[in-house]
Amino acid sequence: MRVLLTGATSCLGRAVAQALRDRGDEVVTFQRHRAGRAPSDRVGDITNAPAVRSAAVDCDALVHLAALVAPRPRWSAAYQTNVVGTANVLEAAAGRPLVHVSSPSVAFGGHPATGEVALPARYQGHDRYTRSKAIAERWVLDHATGPVVVLRPHLVWGPGDTQLIGRIIERADQGRLVLPDRGRALIDTTYVDDAASAVVAGLDRCFDQPAAWGRPLVVSGGDPRTLAELVERILSAYGRTIEPRTIPAPVLGVLGATFERLWLRGEPPLTHFAARQLSVAHWFDQRQTRDLLGWAPRVGIEEGFARLARYASSNEPR
Amino acid sequence: MPQAAQAPSAIELEAMGLDPTWSKLVTFETASGPVTWHVLDTGAGPTTTVLCVHGNPTWSYLWRELLEGLGPNYRVVAVDQSNMGYSERSHPRILAERIDELIAFGTTYLDGPLILAAHDWGGPVAVGAAAALNPVALILANTAVAKPKGVAVPPLIAAARSVVDLSCRRTPAFVRGTAQMTDARHRRGLVAPYRTPERREGVAQFVADIPLGPGDPSQAALEHCAEVLAGLDVPTLLWWGGKDPVFHDRFLSDLRRRVPHADVERLGDVGHLSPLASGFGDLVGRWLDQALLAPHGVAPGELELGSILDRFAAHAGSTEVLYRGPEGALSWAELLDRSATAAAALQAAGLEPGERVAMLVPPSIELLVATCAVWRCGAVPVVADASAGLGQLRRLVRAAGTTYAIGTPVTLRVAQALRMVPGASLAGFCSSPGVVDLRHAEGPPMTVATSSMDLAAVVHTSGATGPAKAVAYRHGALLAQRTALEDLLGLSGGGAFTTSFAAFMLLAPVLEARCLRPDIEVDAPSTLDFDTMASTLSGDAVGCAWLSPAAAAAIASSALGRHLPIPTTLLAGAPISSTLVQAMEAVTQGEVLAPWGMTECLPITDGTAPLLSGPLGGSSTGALLPGVSLKVLELDDDREVQAGSWGELVVATAWSFDGYDQSVRRTLDATVVLDGVAHHRTGDVGYLDDGLVIHLGRRAHVLFTPEGPLASVAVEQPIELVLGRRVAAVGVGPKGTQVVVIVVEDPGGLALAPAPTRDPVRAASTVSVAAVLTGRLPVDHRHQSKIDRAALAAAATTLLEGR
Repeated sequence: MRVLLTGATSCLGRAVAQALRDRGDEVVTFQRHRAGRAPSDRVGDITNAPAVRSAAVDCDALVHLAALVAPRPRWSAAYQTNVVGTANVLEAAAGRPLVHVSSPSVAFGGHPATGEVALPARYQGHDRYTRSKAIAERWVLDHATGPVVVLRPHLVWGPGDTQLIGRIIERADQGRLVLPDRGRALIDTTYVDDAASAVVAGLDRCFDQPAAWGRPLVVSGGDPRTLAELVERILSAYGRTIEPRTIPAPVLGVLGATFERLWLRGEPPLTHFAARQLSVAHWFDQRQTRDLLGWAPRVGIEEGFARLARYASSNEPR
Repeated sequence: MPQAAQAPSAIELEAMGLDPTWSKLVTFETASGPVTWHVLDTGAGPTTTVLCVHGNPTWSYLWRELLEGLGPNYRVVAVDQSNMGYSERSHPRILAERIDELIAFGTTYLDGPLILAAHDWGGPVAVGAAAALNPVALILANTAVAKPKGVAVPPLIAAARSVVDLSCRRTPAFVRGTAQMTDARHRRGLVAPYRTPERREGVAQFVADIPLGPGDPSQAALEHCAEVLAGLDVPTLLWWGGKDPVFHDRFLSDLRRRVPHADVERLGDVGHLSPLASGFGDLVGRWLDQALLAPHGVAPGELELGSILDRFAAHAGSTEVLYRGPEGALSWAELLDRSATAAAALQAAGLEPGERVAMLVPPSIELLVATCAVWRCGAVPVVADASAGLGQLRRLVRAAGTTYAIGTPVTLRVAQALRMVPGASLAGFCSSPGVVDLRHAEGPPMTVATSSMDLAAVVHTSGATGPAKAVAYRHGALLAQRTALEDLLGLSGGGAFTTSFAAFMLLAPVLEARCLRPDIEVDAPSTLDFDTMASTLSGDAVGCAWLSPAAAAAIASSALGRHLPIPTTLLAGAPISSTLVQAMEAVTQGEVLAPWGMTECLPITDGTAPLLSGPLGGSSTGALLPGVSLKVLELDDDREVQAGSWGELVVATAWSFDGYDQSVRRTLDATVVLDGVAHHRTGDVGYLDDGLVIHLGRRAHVLFTPEGPLASVAVEQPIELVLGRRVAAVGVGPKGTQVVVIVVEDPGGLALAPAPTRDPVRAASTVSVAAVLTGRLPVDHRHQSKIDRAALAAAATTLLEGR
């Protein structure tokens, strides 16, 4: 089958493209700039509805990963890319199977999530990325006309990831790595290849599992670790033995809020949202997801760390 | 003034929250002509009917919990007696007439198996009619068939009666006053049929008919009721509001004595109108299902066992020492003499068979004497366990409904200050004002016949897993337990034993074996070191030592290579580590057993091969004792597991407890009927392997992961083996999607384990471990070894939740 893939340049996007091609699907990417040499790459702006529509015209299914991910984007930019872009993809799908990749943070209420199921995307805070992703997910669920599987992969990481791993290494090297309450919160993550196989499974379920349609499904490794251990093992994969400093969680929250207000330009070192996300547990009941997707992680966190260490020995981040 | 029966309108019934289709008028023939009653009837269909009889001044409304909540398997018919509720108003009735009317109603209007339920003065009516109606079960709520000896006429009744016309007919004082005893939402419905003096005439007549003495017209009928009740051998439920100023706990004791096989549900914070207490219908349904399916099993032959009292005569005059403790020694002769005097003193103070006595005497010679004295009176010792803590102790003693308390001047004063035994008569081995002196009495005690079915004692669980529970034992079970223990302890034919469990000293007269009690505080088994044990034995040849693991560990660690010959050592309270078993074997040069059992059922296995494990992990508790039926059930339903799988262990033996004291609900929760035999849910999980019962921990400690349930012990064992430290496995998160968290014992507070501890734990674990913590492991008071994993799981959840 021919699949239109948006957001193919991200760590997860590359893994999804690879997984689809590995099994014989034809992958057509849609992106702003021509990146690879593949003739199947289609260039265009996701906020431009006709461009998305024409890119999808000869595809059998769509996988929508593209999003503006930044700690503090301009609201107009976040809205355009994440909300309008998603609406354009949904419209372009025109009843064809679609996998929409959302985020578990769209249901974040500042409270710990311990074994939680996917709650409605009711995020009301002022993190612009999350707000726009919440609106996008609600839009998809409300306006879908065909089989749509909505996935919320949680904390995707792996070799080549710049979001999570890149930032941790960078902070550590700058001596700015601070953990709330010694990093005691239990947090689940998703190894990138496992997240990719979940997206592929989601695509297949568009064809044969109506029960999986039209409801958000959190995707994660189902094997959480404390934040402290996650950070320690990422650092050790890159040969760092840094003891992160600790700070009481409420203080970190206040710090995040202050940074946000003071940093008028550029990326603040911490936002209130990020501080809260690191301070409380995030792990999810995966039984429904696994049942409906007919999927389970194959790599997992322990093997994931082993692969990361092998990768890190020959590649510094960034 | 005669008035025809008239059913309330559908609107009135709905306003009271009653189904209008239940309301019916029924006319039936009696010896003195036709009578019309108003009834609430859930309708024909089910074969079995529960016929409900209200008291005074209520009506069929009283049974609404049963009408609504009993479920589709039973028809519920609640009547309004003549001159009451919405039934006809005609000539005044005396008790005998009411009984005849109920019989006439039951025989003409109903067929099929019948269950009688009655409240208040409906009790004598229903019980009186039972002789003719032959019920298959009986439910009595806050009622009486006789005034217990020494109990005054309830002052409220006496007051109502002395001014009966004013209080009951001319003013609604009695009706309103009664309705005040329940939830506000029921008051309107209760007073509805009694709004005018004419409607209340029956209420006044009912009060006037209460027999207070031999001269009253209904006294003979009431005495007849008591006889009928004594002859009724059907499952009986006593549903009792403990805050009833009219039919208070003395009346409950009286009924319990008349119906020794009755199941009791005493609700501590419910008043007189107990049938209106929520959950009544549901509980009665569950109780009936079981009572009719597996009635109280008295094994054939058990009745002949009698009670341990029968064996005492053989020791009369014997100077053989039965007990030796830090405070001195007691011979059989002394025990029998002193307990006879104490029993006579208690009898003189009014203690009746079946009454409960709070034993507030610390473990000592006096405890033994007092317990035997209470037994000789046919009364029930409630053995207070101080190790549960004062708060727990107060709750348990209060709930037991004790009418007497035996203690020391200090404990009695504390009990009074805490209102632990309100209204109880006090007794002790001392002369103190207001306290019956048990050292002096006129003449010998009256001999009381005690049967196997009579309650022998109320004891308490350790509370290691949830709040401590009161456990009731009958004399028959106690004697059956004697036989089982005798074999296990190797004490057939006498001998001596020692124990770190102070309360086990009470087993000395039961086992007819000498008990040597070490000089330690009851809640500090870990202070029992080698030297203390050696001086306890002081050369006496004991056959057996029954120790908590904490005590055994203290002895072993202070032995320093010395020996203390003891043929059999029993370690109670799983889990037992293999190092402890080996260390004790070295100290005692004898056999060390780790049998499985619990307050509710002791012992279950013989404790052999404590070092063996099985294919699913855990540790062996030995082979099942003869006479024990054990089944392994799935955790989510009551099917037996496939051979080789683990599950909840349920047991049935002749020496099982009778039930949780005065709590049918708790007892039913902990009971499962398999092949017509009631089995006790032990709350432990494990499996059978090659004839051995392998213990895997508590059901409450099972981790419910997405991959399936994991027994805590099976997760912990391989880690402890590698680490050489004690660990606890707890599940964090909602059941079914829990993650495994391992806590490694450490003196500090709960914290994330550093990598050098964490990584070996994860490497040793056979399951995926989300987090490794270090910290103190909370243990129980009594054994100081059972880890409270529920508390630990809660603490781990809070830590790992962040904030």
